[in-house]
Amino acid sequence: MHRDPKKLDQLRVGRSELENHVIDEFVAGRLSRREFLRRGSIIGLSIPALGATVSACGGANSSPTSSSAPSGVPKAGAKLRIAGVVPTSAINPAQIYDEGGLTMIQQTGEYLSFNDPKTNILKPMLATGFKPNADASVWTYTLRPGVTFNDGRPMTADDVVYSFKQNTDPKVYVDAASVFNGVLTNDGVKKIDDQTVEFNLEAPNGNFSYLISSDNYNMIIVPNGTDYAKWQKTFVGTGPFKLTSYQANSGATFAPNPNWWGGNVLPAELQHIFYPTQQPQITALQGGDVDIVNLIVPAGAEGVLNNPDYTLLDTKSSQHRELSMRCDKPPWDNKLVRQAMALSLNRPEIAQALFKGYAQLGNDNPFAPFFRSTDTTVAQRVQDLTKAKQLLTQAGLPNGFTTDLYTEDYQEIKNYAQIIKQAAQAIGININLHIDTQATYYKDHWLSGIMSLVDYGHRGVPNVVLTATLAKGGAWNAAHFADSQYDALVKQYVAALDLSTQKQIAGQIETLLLDETPWICAYYFDSLSVCKKTIGGVVTTGMGQIFLSGAGPITA
Amino acid sequence: MAVYILKRLGLALITLWILSMIIFWVGQQLPGDPGRTILGNLATPAGVAALDHKLGVDRPIVTQYTDWVTKLAHGDMGSSYSFQAPIRPFITSALENSLKLALVAFFMCVPLAIVSGVIAALKSGEWVDRAISVFGLSLLGLPEFVSGVFLIMIFGIWLNVLPVGATPPAGADPFTQVFHLILPAIAIACVLFGYIMRMARAGTIEALNSDYTRTAVLKGLPTKTVVRRHVLRNALLPTITVVATQVGYLIGGLLVVEYLFHYNGIGSLTFKAAQAKDFPLLESTVLTIGVVYLVATLIADITYTLLNPRLRLGGDT
Repeated sequence: MHRDPKKLDQLRVGRSELENHVIDEFVAGRLSRREFLRRGSIIGLSIPALGATVSACGGANSSPTSSSAPSGVPKAGAKLRIAGVVPTSAINPAQIYDEGGLTMIQQTGEYLSFNDPKTNILKPMLATGFKPNADASVWTYTLRPGVTFNDGRPMTADDVVYSFKQNTDPKVYVDAASVFNGVLTNDGVKKIDDQTVEFNLEAPNGNFSYLISSDNYNMIIVPNGTDYAKWQKTFVGTGPFKLTSYQANSGATFAPNPNWWGGNVLPAELQHIFYPTQQPQITALQGGDVDIVNLIVPAGAEGVLNNPDYTLLDTKSSQHRELSMRCDKPPWDNKLVRQAMALSLNRPEIAQALFKGYAQLGNDNPFAPFFRSTDTTVAQRVQDLTKAKQLLTQAGLPNGFTTDLYTEDYQEIKNYAQIIKQAAQAIGININLHIDTQATYYKDHWLSGIMSLVDYGHRGVPNVVLTATLAKGGAWNAAHFADSQYDALVKQYVAALDLSTQKQIAGQIETLLLDETPWICAYYFDSLSVCKKTIGGVVTTGMGQIFLSGAGPITA
Repeated sequence: MAVYILKRLGLALITLWILSMIIFWVGQQLPGDPGRTILGNLATPAGVAALDHKLGVDRPIVTQYTDWVTKLAHGDMGSSYSFQAPIRPFITSALENSLKLALVAFFMCVPLAIVSGVIAALKSGEWVDRAISVFGLSLLGLPEFVSGVFLIMIFGIWLNVLPVGATPPAGADPFTQVFHLILPAIAIACVLFGYIMRMARAGTIEALNSDYTRTAVLKGLPTKTVVRRHVLRNALLPTITVVATQVGYLIGGLLVVEYLFHYNGIGSLTFKAAQAKDFPLLESTVLTIGVVYLVATLIADITYTLLNPRLRLGGDT
């Protein structure tokens, strides 16, 4: 690798101590190119600066890009038909939480930055850059100049401040509250000037840039004064498309936004068609009624998986299930019993059976394999029935016991619960399964069940799951886990800006959770979408978003 | 006749009132609450309670019911909880779609089934009769979701000659709309064919064996004239009644077909409303279907009365 010291020196001028530290780490070879791009983007190094640094170190001067699997150049002018699910409720950007809703708002709405699903690196969107202060308690964002909303109004700091204040309003329920709780309050968002916004956090947070990126799907920027409850009438936003029509029950049509800051939009029209479930979506794709199906699960999609007529868009994600065991109630208050339960599961077989292999193994902690801060040196827990039985004997339960497991009828969970029951039976634990509708489960059993199996969606960083599901008093702490050492480690992890520090603390958290095992996570499953092989340029995220400004029929 | 119709209308209104109470009560028994459905499973209880209060679903059930009925009496169906928009356009659009599908299925199935039934009766005991009867019975035993899947696989995916979805593109011309409805209409026709054909066959055989037919034959009338003037006119009376009563099913009872062929009819709208615990929408869709059934039954009764001189003139039946 040929270095250009003069160029590197020029690049260092005016950089903060933290930015120069990251550059030094890369130059010294302690950070890979990908890690450098990721860490650089987190602390606010611009994409040109990142590219120039890589170039000065002898690498190619290229920006991180993301694209769907098919090769070839997408052509402009196509009318793309996308099969999605029916949004659960009205399209209110501050309150939507479901797949249908979040897909709708990101067609016309945009975020301050975009988390590239292939690299997990933040790319500029409505902000051209951002910088934390020394302890990451204050983050300053510089907004992209010349951005207009699709109704012609220019986007300024007032709009950004308004959008964040609406999504941190303590007086009304907002979906992003789970992300901002303990991180950002309504008063913490300040306009510095027309192009600059400052976020004063409740506590230092090294991953804050992720928490307000596209990972936080509610956080699209809307014009100052927008009535969120009426947003679905206009779909006002800064994105590549503008609304042509929206029919709550059947679909939505979008046309290109000619004033989009990002340049030309390839599709001439997007037609999102709502389906109730996956089966008719797959049928529509096979029958030629749609070009893309956004988000599928392998079960029931056999006709398009490994089929040369279709391209599978496979994005690693942190979607997972948590099997919590009440740490405050016998017999699960004994960690040996919890460990025994965790050792009874054959994770590779489960991942294969439920997801046909489109999943990564979980190690009973919130650090998904694709998070950069995950300490992958911590040993993976594997099935060991002999040891599990020994642990039960040590815990004074040589003959096993009977317990209840509460869960929801949702996606693959019902089948997973059956697998858990069988696995537990092999070590003498007799589980009575209670599979309820989602409504009943969440209302009556989620946080109180002696064993509770629940679904969690994708997040770009582990912060929310680390705090909400495991910290003492966490809002979603179904295991009722309380450990002061864990809480202290999480506080350190959240505050850490530096990757090596994050990784080092992550290792300690992973080890601690392997020992304590308040909940079991057997797998993190991929986010899958599928399109015709003749379509390219489709970008999907682990969250389930689909970005189509660069999509179209491909030419080899 | 006018008194008869008024009496039937009065009964229909009472039926709808009872139906509205039943569906309101049943809706309350569904698990979960609207606030939770709208805000999501992870929403805070306080957030859910606030939204429930805003929607008014935390009020006593009687208050909610009377409020809803009062509004309905003034022609206001209210707003959908989940869509947060007036209900009427959803009902109108869904009903329009259901009517289109029902019409295509009706014209595809009914003439064919009646003709087949009459032919089977005229050839009673012969191989033609057996073939038609066995074919009709086989279709009758084939649920829509089975025939629908086969139709989709064969014509939609393997041969790729017909669209698998029944919903045409926005602004499609009538021909395209009908083109999209062919497969679901065939699936519906499969179910109805056997039923209507059997009715037509039985009625025709009964008419053929009647005294007036024998008299007509003995009078020396040509067979065609006997069949046209004496047999069919009497034989198809019960068939027409059956067909009229099936109109209710054709419009409001096609949830499976609508689901399978991705069609936004009144059936699938009802299903979505039930899933979302969207009470105002659920009640409005069920009542609409109820009205359709009652109107269809009323038309069937009136048609039967008009075609049957004994009933029309108040004679014994």
